[in-house]
Amino acid sequence: MADLDRSGSLSALAVVADEELRDLWVGGRALVLITAYSLFLSVLVYLLAANSSLNFLEQRESLSLTAQLAIAVGGLLTVIVAADAISGERERRTLESVLVSPAPRRSLVAGKLLAALSLWLACFAVAVPYIWFLGNDVGLVAAAVACTLCVGTLLALSLACFGMTVSIVSPSNRISLSLSLFVLLALLAPTQLPPSAQAGWAGESLARINPLTAGEHYVGRVLTDGHPWQQDVSWLVSPAIAAGVLLVVVLTAGASLSLEPRSTR
Amino acid sequence: MASQVVDRERLEAAIDVHDVRKSFGRTTALNGVSFSVPEGSVVGILGPNGAGKSTLMRVLTTMHRADSGTFQVGGIAGGRPADIRRLIGVLPENAGYPGGRTGLEYLTYHARLFGARGGDARAAAARWLDVVGLGTPATALIRTYSRGMLQRLGLARALIHSPTVVFLDEPTLGLDPSGRRQILGTIRDITADSGVTVLLSTHLLDDVEQFCTRVVVLHRGEVMADGTVAEVSSRFSANRRLRAAVEHQYLVRALDVLAALPDVIESGESSDSPGVVIALLDRSIDPQVAAGRAVGALLEAGVIPRWYELEGGRLSEAFFAMTTEPGGGPG
Repeated sequence: MADLDRSGSLSALAVVADEELRDLWVGGRALVLITAYSLFLSVLVYLLAANSSLNFLEQRESLSLTAQLAIAVGGLLTVIVAADAISGERERRTLESVLVSPAPRRSLVAGKLLAALSLWLACFAVAVPYIWFLGNDVGLVAAAVACTLCVGTLLALSLACFGMTVSIVSPSNRISLSLSLFVLLALLAPTQLPPSAQAGWAGESLARINPLTAGEHYVGRVLTDGHPWQQDVSWLVSPAIAAGVLLVVVLTAGASLSLEPRSTR
Repeated sequence: MASQVVDRERLEAAIDVHDVRKSFGRTTALNGVSFSVPEGSVVGILGPNGAGKSTLMRVLTTMHRADSGTFQVGGIAGGRPADIRRLIGVLPENAGYPGGRTGLEYLTYHARLFGARGGDARAAAARWLDVVGLGTPATALIRTYSRGMLQRLGLARALIHSPTVVFLDEPTLGLDPSGRRQILGTIRDITADSGVTVLLSTHLLDDVEQFCTRVVVLHRGEVMADGTVAEVSSRFSANRRLRAAVEHQYLVRALDVLAALPDVIESGESSDSPGVVIALLDRSIDPQVAAGRAVGALLEAGVIPRWYELEGGRLSEAFFAMTTEPGGGPG
């Protein structure tokens, strides 16, 4: 019986993920976002390459910046889609039709989560040629690709889980999107501080606790400073913990997903 | 023996609701609702806006949890929502649809949510689109659908997995008369063929009179009446009236004859139609029988009516009597 339930849940998860992916990609929403991101990345890499040839920016720094940008934009797009996933369906009045089906609530949430993560994978796929272009001369293509994939996946998962949780409990889609973006910006803000502000015990602790600054810091250490990937792996602890904890939180909240944000069924 | 009869009735009830209560903050939406729906019947849930119709539908479709009380749908207790969802089809009030998908894709998705495999799901979707008359634009985007087409698509979605109990919340809302007739006709055809039980929530009395076998009237979260449409109409509507036009010289005799009849509560001349006598018939007697006796008595007395007619006794009168008059309710 448990096996049957599990296979039903997996089947429902696959059905929901398939539908959400079609909605995102065939419906065109994701394509628009990814096209805009591609154009932005093209312009940025052109500028970085031009600067690099003028010796204003090291090739390694350009590579690191490109990887960090791919991770940040991937996280941004993922959190936008995740934050709209449930509260948006509530407002569009399409959620009730899905909730009255026997598909387990957790499978509905997990399916939507997978679809949201596809945006990160697309961002990563778009970034790979640029990483190859910038990293080829300095022999860092494999490290940059692996590093971007690893850090980006942990952060995208964390942000998708966070956005989805907010979407489940949020009374409106506007609040869900606003709160998710606010938290993303709050987490990103420290990455823009000058290095001196991140120095010292307190600065480093804060950078390590914040999953976004920790992830970006790790990418910088590996790609800009040329450290071996094992040396600074402790910086990935907070992104990994955030991903794990938020995954548990979203699946727990998802199990009691309801038509109204405050009631449970 | 008595308990066996009760058990059998309960077994044959597609929906059994007992003392269900639901509040939202200080607002009481359902206040001890109890009723039973026999298998295979088409039941109208009638009530003015705010009566608790949609809340009741959402409790029974497991979207809201009742604060107290018990219910079962298709023999499954309300405490097992996942099992109930396998049995029911639901058309929610003002349901939304993904405008960027085709009707076929939308129905295929919902068939798959109910466990149908890819090819079977698509075949079922195509079949149901045909049944509800959307077969031709199966590949048209939903955003191009009219309101009536959306309601038919929602109906197809509610029925895609062949449920045993179907909940339709205001299925004709916003439709023009021909759209209403079309969707109710589709519902009637489908239910007649499949024997499925239908709970139809509406505030349109005509819909219930024309298409429902039973009716439950809700008002302020309470059941005011529950029974067949004829039972509820006769029990709760005003007394039916016999109107008969007689020659002026027979007017007094006609009034005397009618006043002497035990089936007539009150009689008099119509104030706005001179020459027309009105007899208020006792509601405990079949109005056709009472009217027949009254006309017979007039004929025996030598009063030949130029015409006569029966007035009143419609569900609408019963509904308004229950929902607008203070103290109106089950007697």
